[in-house]
Amino acid sequence: MSTQVSGGEVTDLSLPRRKRDAFLAHRGIWMALLLVGALAAAASYVDSYLAYVATSWVIFGLLGLSLDLIWGRAGVLSLGQTAFFGIGGYLGSVAAINLAPLTGNTLIWSGPVGSLAGACIAGLVGWLIFFGRMAALQATILTYTVTLIIWTSAVSFHATVGVAVIGGDNGLAEIPPFVVGFGNAAAPLSPNGMLACTILIAGGAYLLSASLMRSPFGLLVDCVRLNAEKTELLGYDTRKIQFWLFVLAGGIAGLAGALFGHWANYLTPSVFSVQECLLVPIYVLVGGRGTLAGPFVGALLVGGLSFWLGGGVIGGQTTLVMGLGLMVLVLFVDGGVIGAATSLVAKGNRLRAVGTETEGEHRHSPVTALKSIARQGSDGSLEARAIVRRFGGITPVNGVSLTFQPGRVYCLIGPNGAGKSTFLRCCMGSHSLSEGEIMLAGKRATTWKTFERARAGLGVKMQTPQIFDELSVAQNLWVAAYQAEHDRRAADRKVAAVLTTIGLAARTKLRAGELSHGQQQWLDIGMVLCMSPAVIMLDEPAAGMTAVERGVLASMIRELASSAAVIVVEHDMDFVRSLDAETIVLHQGELFARGSIEELRRNEAVLDVYLGRRRHVRTA
Amino acid sequence: MQVDLVGITLISAVASASVLLIATLGLAVVFGLMGVINLAHGEFIMLGAYAALLSTRAGLPFWAAIVVAVILTAAFGAVVEVLLIRRLYSRILDTMLATWGVSLVLYQAAVVVFGAVTPGLGFSFPSVNIGAYGISAYLLALIAVAALLTAALYFLLTRTSYGVLARAAVQDPQMSAAIGIDAARINTATFALGCGLAGFAGAVLLPVVPATPGMGFAFVVKAFLGVVIAGPLALSGTVMATGLLGALANITASVWSAVFGDLLFFGATIALLWLFPQGISQRWRLKL
Amino acid sequence: MSFERKSELVVRATLRDGIWRMASGLRKNLICAALIGAPLLTAPLPAWADNPIKIGSIFDLTGDLNIYGIQQSRALHLAVEKINEDGGLLGRKVEIVESDAQSQQAKYTQYANTLLMRDRISALFAGLTSSAREAIRPIARRANIPYFYSSLYEGGACDKQTFVTGPSASQQLGVLIPWAIKTYGRRLFVMAPDYNFGTISTEWIRKYAADNQAEVVGTDILPLTATDYLPTIQKIQMAKPDFVVALPVGANQTGFLEQFTAAGLKQKIALVSTNYGSGNQQIALSVDAARGIVVSPEYVSSAKNPQNEAFKRAWQAKFRTTDPIIGEAVDVWNAAFLWALAVKKAGTIDSDKVIAALESGLSLDSPSGAITLDGRSHHLVQSIFIAIGNDKRDFDIIETHDRVAPAFEQKVCDLIAQPQLAKHFTSLDDAKSR
Repeated sequence: MSTQVSGGEVTDLSLPRRKRDAFLAHRGIWMALLLVGALAAAASYVDSYLAYVATSWVIFGLLGLSLDLIWGRAGVLSLGQTAFFGIGGYLGSVAAINLAPLTGNTLIWSGPVGSLAGACIAGLVGWLIFFGRMAALQATILTYTVTLIIWTSAVSFHATVGVAVIGGDNGLAEIPPFVVGFGNAAAPLSPNGMLACTILIAGGAYLLSASLMRSPFGLLVDCVRLNAEKTELLGYDTRKIQFWLFVLAGGIAGLAGALFGHWANYLTPSVFSVQECLLVPIYVLVGGRGTLAGPFVGALLVGGLSFWLGGGVIGGQTTLVMGLGLMVLVLFVDGGVIGAATSLVAKGNRLRAVGTETEGEHRHSPVTALKSIARQGSDGSLEARAIVRRFGGITPVNGVSLTFQPGRVYCLIGPNGAGKSTFLRCCMGSHSLSEGEIMLAGKRATTWKTFERARAGLGVKMQTPQIFDELSVAQNLWVAAYQAEHDRRAADRKVAAVLTTIGLAARTKLRAGELSHGQQQWLDIGMVLCMSPAVIMLDEPAAGMTAVERGVLASMIRELASSAAVIVVEHDMDFVRSLDAETIVLHQGELFARGSIEELRRNEAVLDVYLGRRRHVRTA
Repeated sequence: MQVDLVGITLISAVASASVLLIATLGLAVVFGLMGVINLAHGEFIMLGAYAALLSTRAGLPFWAAIVVAVILTAAFGAVVEVLLIRRLYSRILDTMLATWGVSLVLYQAAVVVFGAVTPGLGFSFPSVNIGAYGISAYLLALIAVAALLTAALYFLLTRTSYGVLARAAVQDPQMSAAIGIDAARINTATFALGCGLAGFAGAVLLPVVPATPGMGFAFVVKAFLGVVIAGPLALSGTVMATGLLGALANITASVWSAVFGDLLFFGATIALLWLFPQGISQRWRLKL
Repeated sequence: MSFERKSELVVRATLRDGIWRMASGLRKNLICAALIGAPLLTAPLPAWADNPIKIGSIFDLTGDLNIYGIQQSRALHLAVEKINEDGGLLGRKVEIVESDAQSQQAKYTQYANTLLMRDRISALFAGLTSSAREAIRPIARRANIPYFYSSLYEGGACDKQTFVTGPSASQQLGVLIPWAIKTYGRRLFVMAPDYNFGTISTEWIRKYAADNQAEVVGTDILPLTATDYLPTIQKIQMAKPDFVVALPVGANQTGFLEQFTAAGLKQKIALVSTNYGSGNQQIALSVDAARGIVVSPEYVSSAKNPQNEAFKRAWQAKFRTTDPIIGEAVDVWNAAFLWALAVKKAGTIDSDKVIAALESGLSLDSPSGAITLDGRSHHLVQSIFIAIGNDKRDFDIIETHDRVAPAFEQKVCDLIAQPQLAKHFTSLDDAKSR
């Protein structure tokens, strides 16, 4: 069966034309486009008061979209979206107030200015969060604090910009309405027109976001959410990925703010309040986090319900009913409204996916195929010069100097606590060095971040399989290959080649999280192969494998070593022997002995260290 | 600079920090220790205040009213945990939604049951003079209360067997269950402890903050900041964060204005987050 | 049949396999959204059989501001009940279309537009905060219907359709500050909330202090999220004023008064306010703290006049509560009866004619005393009381100032001569015009 891998999705090559492929691949987008158009058209038939109110729901949905992008997909709960919303609203409205007389049209000013304002503030905050390497919780509180600062300051902020007057708590009044058309054709929209216009703009933002999330960038965003460390190990600058998504989300929030200004004709600091800021995650959660359309559903439901209840239906107990409703929703519905609806369907899909897996053992293609994957022409050496790493009271790596050249397999062995994993992490860049230097491909890499080392050719496989559990097998490999190849088609080709090498060709569409532990190990190895690394570090790669698999792995390692430096940390001495490697013994953070495995087996000192016998074991 | 002015400034800074700390300790347990985002924390403070208020109006002495408040809020917290939170430990974000719903319900229920304004305490406390400046003796007492409460909590969570079990159940529920700890019961107790602390705060702060349905709001805003800056050691980190920020904000407000005090609180939060991305207690060696 | 197979069949049957199989994740989301959204957008409207005169009401029945909103709403219901008992207006019943703004700013905009477009109300009674009023003002102006704002506020609202039946800050402070200076001394300290009501009131206090040879020895502006009043109390002690003008907003700021008392300052320094008590804060305070605070409201529950007696009796009978009635409630009551009077005088509910009638100088005897609606400024000439907190969680009247005119509003706002004016004047405008 010939398969083609395209953008991480595997399709059967027996289908004819590319145009049809393109249409099918983007059929989701076409349907969405149609639906947005239909909704906008339907807006004309709604009662005008309802159209007016519904416009605000759509705007809040757009605000929710901005949060869902950064929270549902990138995994960062930002409580600052209302800050970007408000600032975009204020600045966009100021622009509209001052410049609308020139064109008649107001949206042409407020939209871009509002988005830009939101994006810029988001950029500032995003820089603090992502380049400051904040943990998720701290990032959330940072955005929350930014909102608090802006709220507190906005109440006393007075300024006159041209004709627009920002009066502190009195806010910004006389904001012009939605006016489309230019010059003589410019006219304020009716409530129905306003709703249609907002649906189109929000729909456009949604389509843009959805398309972006289906592109390689979107795939990377998901990767960062699923396993940020692995993404960085593959050579991606995760900070930049999250940063740019955050800026985009800020721009969308700012756009929503500008629309809100036109809708309400009046903005006050209350848009920055804590109560408003907490409503946005509520919209996202009610609708379904990560779905991108969920926030619109959530805003509609929550806004619609509170509007309907406040209209005298429930005799003044609006909040009571809302609160009870939320509790019930959470208890009985998982993943929001859309999440619950689609999980019913997803169960059907998954049942089918399991059925297509072929039974039987893996089939590995000849290992010589690896030659095509190997990195061309680079100095694949790694050198550690007297590196020391201290943690508080202990020093797991204490003056280790080692050089690894391509063409050999190296094995690092040593008893528990010898410092092997720490040494690995120092070479990777996860730990900074207390002393010493790391040289990678002849360059001084001591201060390089992990992703920079990965790009320079360092491929690492950690002890526990690091994979993206929600992505398919093919997508996992594709992400690794894309960084090395920078080209979609080349990545596709490489993935196809590696798939057969690691024996997962029959399981390409399976979610990686559903593989067995051994299969996940192979997937992890495959991802390393896709990087075409010049230096390969494997931390106990044979753990959990059958004897047959170990044989395949050993020959693979030997083959790779012909063009790269391969460093294997292992405990299994038989496996080490099968590698025909130069073996290095670490003990208490220092280089203890090196040589072939046979020489070391005869070395009494090494045996002492392993068996804990007195003579060569320092009690320190 | 007069000595009594310096004295009163320092003492009032410590008193402010103590008030904020008392209101935050419950959240340190529920959020800092258990990782449950309890958006209803302010409403539990409010419940404790009302429970104590009604008890005093029913004739109980103030100290007894505080005990009643703690028992009632802890019990209610246990009920909320069993009915709601327990089902959501694997869906930690949904606890946000759920507790927000709880806060709406509690707030509105309080309005319905107690009315929007309830008669306040029938008594007040004497004042103390530091040089030319007076300060409520009760506020000074609250400094002692905050210190004692923190010490008691530290002792409870690090030296008693409940404390060890509680921290184990929170850190690794599956492993705890594997060695025979009834994680479910322990977590209920810990959540109830956090809510009881909130109730205690509401009751004990009654002479300082009158009981109204929305009284918890302003505390909660700052409490969340404090607990997150605290970092992995929920208790000592919170004490340091809340104490530092509360005192600094107070001094800034005394010297300039309250608006600057708030802005400093928030600005210092950002600075601390930048300097200590994992929280200030990341490298500390204490147990909790 | 295995469980998986059974559920698969159920899923397929329930969700119509063909449609769902085609849909990708993206489209599924949107179809869900459309299915859920469609019913809401086409919800049918309730039908009313009569031909009543509809008026709109938007108050905060829930949320932080509900202490005011609930009473304002009740007052409107009570007033309309009385109007209907007396035969309605122009032979028609008056009907209230009510909305709960839930203390959320955006809801005021939503409901105001809804009531106008859907229910075609003839008059609107809404809002507590200035930001609510400022959001509604232009909406009422565009729709050209009379809008009544019934709450104490910082003053200066000037709009053809907007009529204010609450006292303005200059009205209240113009009575309170000179009295306080005369009674307590010439050094005053101001504690105000950090938003327009507080900052503009502070400016008025400075003006009246200067006019009366007194000095503002210190001010402290407090954000609404403040929990810590010790710095303010310290500043007050440093400044050594004769009295403090406190304008606490919300539950927390009431705590300021408690802490002020607890610090032992009440013996040396007096406390006065314009807005304390407007939300029955005196009930929540301890007796020691509440005693002796002097306020200058437009209405005191214990005022002795026939209208107030009748009003209180009707209120207690209908709502079965003996809680003190707040000023905002009486403001709404007054607004409703002024509107009814104008409709009767105009003989029609046509907005232009009703507004003209409202501007013709209507007077009423109300529970708060005799009131006159000043046609040019659209504000009330009304009584301002000086009252003092007693031991029974209520206020005793010390002085009554009748027919206090809204002098500032009358100076800057003449809507008969300049009907196009639509502005919110502040004390800065007052300084410019001097």
